[in-house]
Amino acid sequence: MRTTKTLAALAVATLCTALGTATAQQPIVLQWQTANLTEKQYEPIWKATIAEFEAANPGIKIEPVLVARKDHWTKFVAAALAKLAPCIVSVDLATAAYNGYLMPIDKYMQAESADFLGAWSPDILGAAKWKGKLYGLPIWGGTYAEVYNRELVIKAGLDPSNPPKTWTEYLAWSKKLTGNGVWATAILGGKTDTTTRLLLTWIWSNGGEAFNADMTEATFAKNPKSLEAIKFYLGLAGKGFAAPAPTTTNYLEQTNLFAQGKIANMRNAYWAVSKVINDNPAMKGNMFVVPIPANVANAPTMSTMTASSISASCPHPEAAWKFIKFDAGKKWSIERARGANWMPLRNDLANEPQVKADPMLAQFVQIGTRARSYPLPSPIWAEIAAGDIVDAVQRALLQPEKTDEIFRDLDARLTKKLRDI
Amino acid sequence: MRRSQYVDGARWVLVLVSLLLVMFPFYWMLNTSLKPASEIFLSPPTFISSNWSLDAYVTVLTERPFARYFLNSLVVTLGTTVLSVTLAAFAAYGFTRFFPRGATPFVVFLLFTKMLPETLLIIPYFQLMASVGLLNSYLALILAYSSFALPFSVWMLIGFFRSIPRDIDEAAKIDGASYLQTFFLVILPLARPGLVAVTLFTFLIAWNSYLWALVLTTDASMHVLSVGVANMVGEYSVQWNELMAAAVIAAVPVMLLFSFLEKHLVNAITSGAVKG
Amino acid sequence: MRQWQRHRLVGYAFVGPVFLFLCAVVVFPLSHAFWISLHRTRGLATSFSGTDNYQRALTDDAFWHALGVSVQFTGACVALHMLIGLCLALLLNEIRFAKTALRVAFLTPWMVAPAVGATIWLWLLEPQFGVVNYLLGAIGVIDAPLAWLGTPKLAFMSVVAVDVWRGVPFVMLLILAGLQTIPRDQYEAASIDGAGPWQRFRYITLPNLRYLLVVASTLDIINTMRHYDIIGVMTAGGPAGATEVLPVLLYNTAFRGNRFGEAAAIGVLLLLIVLAFAIFHIRLTKPEQGSAP
Repeated sequence: MRTTKTLAALAVATLCTALGTATAQQPIVLQWQTANLTEKQYEPIWKATIAEFEAANPGIKIEPVLVARKDHWTKFVAAALAKLAPCIVSVDLATAAYNGYLMPIDKYMQAESADFLGAWSPDILGAAKWKGKLYGLPIWGGTYAEVYNRELVIKAGLDPSNPPKTWTEYLAWSKKLTGNGVWATAILGGKTDTTTRLLLTWIWSNGGEAFNADMTEATFAKNPKSLEAIKFYLGLAGKGFAAPAPTTTNYLEQTNLFAQGKIANMRNAYWAVSKVINDNPAMKGNMFVVPIPANVANAPTMSTMTASSISASCPHPEAAWKFIKFDAGKKWSIERARGANWMPLRNDLANEPQVKADPMLAQFVQIGTRARSYPLPSPIWAEIAAGDIVDAVQRALLQPEKTDEIFRDLDARLTKKLRDI
Repeated sequence: MRRSQYVDGARWVLVLVSLLLVMFPFYWMLNTSLKPASEIFLSPPTFISSNWSLDAYVTVLTERPFARYFLNSLVVTLGTTVLSVTLAAFAAYGFTRFFPRGATPFVVFLLFTKMLPETLLIIPYFQLMASVGLLNSYLALILAYSSFALPFSVWMLIGFFRSIPRDIDEAAKIDGASYLQTFFLVILPLARPGLVAVTLFTFLIAWNSYLWALVLTTDASMHVLSVGVANMVGEYSVQWNELMAAAVIAAVPVMLLFSFLEKHLVNAITSGAVKG
Repeated sequence: MRQWQRHRLVGYAFVGPVFLFLCAVVVFPLSHAFWISLHRTRGLATSFSGTDNYQRALTDDAFWHALGVSVQFTGACVALHMLIGLCLALLLNEIRFAKTALRVAFLTPWMVAPAVGATIWLWLLEPQFGVVNYLLGAIGVIDAPLAWLGTPKLAFMSVVAVDVWRGVPFVMLLILAGLQTIPRDQYEAASIDGAGPWQRFRYITLPNLRYLLVVASTLDIINTMRHYDIIGVMTAGGPAGATEVLPVLLYNTAFRGNRFGEAAAIGVLLLLIVLAFAIFHIRLTKPEQGSAP
């Protein structure tokens, strides 16, 4: 009958469409996957990067793989297990290298000129190594500092040119900044790794350590300075200086609160400034940046590092390296800083006019000269940073009187996991 | 008389209150999608705004290839529906006419296949599709989605076909019809309400599915709507009004389809599978 | 060839395609999952480890905690789905005016992708900027914004509520259709015999709906036990593991922990548990002999 015929025709048509999407390529096609390709402000930049690269290298085409940030790793792993991962990726280095998903790039680096090699400090390159081999070229990062809302600071009767440098001063500022529906700051306790990032900055600024030197033992509670720092930081909630609902506060909620003037300060990286201005254009020019307060001299802050890597199954690693080098070049590093507020990790950009013209960027760079790299070099970092450590923070926020016990438990769990690699 | 008026009135009140609770999120979705970005965080929030505009929709449709995503979703969903309904109809007919006692174990087997969480299936499935060169293809998604839709479809159609008496098959056979002719020309038309119900159900599952499309397609031109919407959640900036607009665009086709075919859906369940 | 042999062959021809399809597309991944659960996996490196993963899972606190949360979550959700679905169906059954529009309206939560629905609710329940807190504060029910997803009890209730919002429509539709198959004369006969509304419900409505309720609740239990989307989007298992159901634990073990072998073992255990539940549930609510599956 007619319905049957229509159905059959539809079926055939669908199958034809389905089969007709076979791709045939002659030039080398490299897939490029990073969670940042879906960031709106980065879009024009990466499109220009690809266009320029392809124009200069006619035999190579770059195919961007767009994926939502939260699913980036899932998609990468599914492909990597089938040995079909995109050639150029930005992922958690230690985890990916440990699991065999990445290819070491030492031989490509060493074939480069001294000029090129000199653009990266040994510290930064060291953070991109796993078991002595280099697995990625550091492209950009973010240094964590204190960003304040100038208007709210002045309204509280405080002096923006005299920011708190010690924890006592920070507490005093917090007290004055809280009130009238505004809180001094926000505690990050949501289920993502930004919770762990902030926790670590507090621990380090007290001279504490969260792990031992070779990452085989956790010392959140074992190291008294660490525990002290944790209690101080989480204690801000009990004192009422932090915005409510910390267990559901992540980067997104924190920047929302700051952009809407509900919190007076946020501990964040330069990209957050861009987000805040995007959310609330009135904040432009209303923010100032200072180093995080510390109880010990020369306390390090934290700098995240994003690197571009070549996946282990890539059939054209030389072509991939060409693109990675191109993307890490001065021009694009500056573009990223300008358009997306991502801090370049090259050390030869300080005198570039665009960099000099941006005082906030200069401040972040300055603060970043005394920073430790994140993520920490452990193959289970992704799991513990967004899992076990966050769980402990959440428990401590819900039951502050049990903080000691909770972090002792955490130490035991983490140490067990670290030894079981 | 008065008592039944009270009862009617009370009934309507309950229905309207429930309706409010059920529909409020959609109203908010629509509201947010029509607001300009600066109004989204206003406190107190605005329920109706004189600044409502379709700007977000325009942006979404022009800046991102939503038309392409829509087409992809349509092809995959229709393909899934055709494949799944066909297979289910054949199987249901086969079981009710040829292996009546095998129907129950088969349905249990189908249920069993649904008990493993998706997370574990995507990796081997990806490898399977990669090995036959079907990555980034409509076919891979069609096959995956068909596998989820089958259990319910087969269960419902078995109930349906069972209610069509065997005498009709016998009569057709006496008239000289072959097995296939009987199936296509006589039985299927009688089962139309059930087929419509299964079609709607399968359409819905395929239209909204995300995880499989995420993993199996890398080419941006092959993204389906659900992937397109998810990709709008950036870390460094989230345009809530555009995100909501995209979500509305993704939801509207299903709502339209259901509005038109809802009658059939209810009829189908009514006359078919319910009594067992 | 004999008639009955030909008959058989034709039968296989009808039923064959589904079997082949399912074997290729479902049985392979299923058996792969079983196989992987017997290995210790670290990314691309795998080594056979027998029942190690199962032992690990069964002695891990996190597994039992997640199982407990799963059972509570599934129990609460399915019970509410069935109860509210039944009530709504009874209400809607009597209404003639704007029948289609009402039904489609009530079906809408089901039509939207689970992740999208969860994202909207996330936005609605946001402590500082969400509309729910604003409305509740405006009518005076609460005097300070509540952290709907911020404390264990509230978070659990919130995810159950969102799952109920999403899951009731389907159950309501099934029961509504079922109600329409009950012959009116049964009700009339009962009225004549002097039965009140509650008795009519108990002795006519319920028995007629029984098969449907059993099937619907079984499917619901199976689906809810393996459900990931709503909790994954809204709380990712937090706070402090209060909403960490087994599928969330599984996803985290597989993709964040990169321990696919262990994840597969958890998955197989989950499958066995669900199977056991389903069988137990069917036995408990066993329809009369002589009825269909």
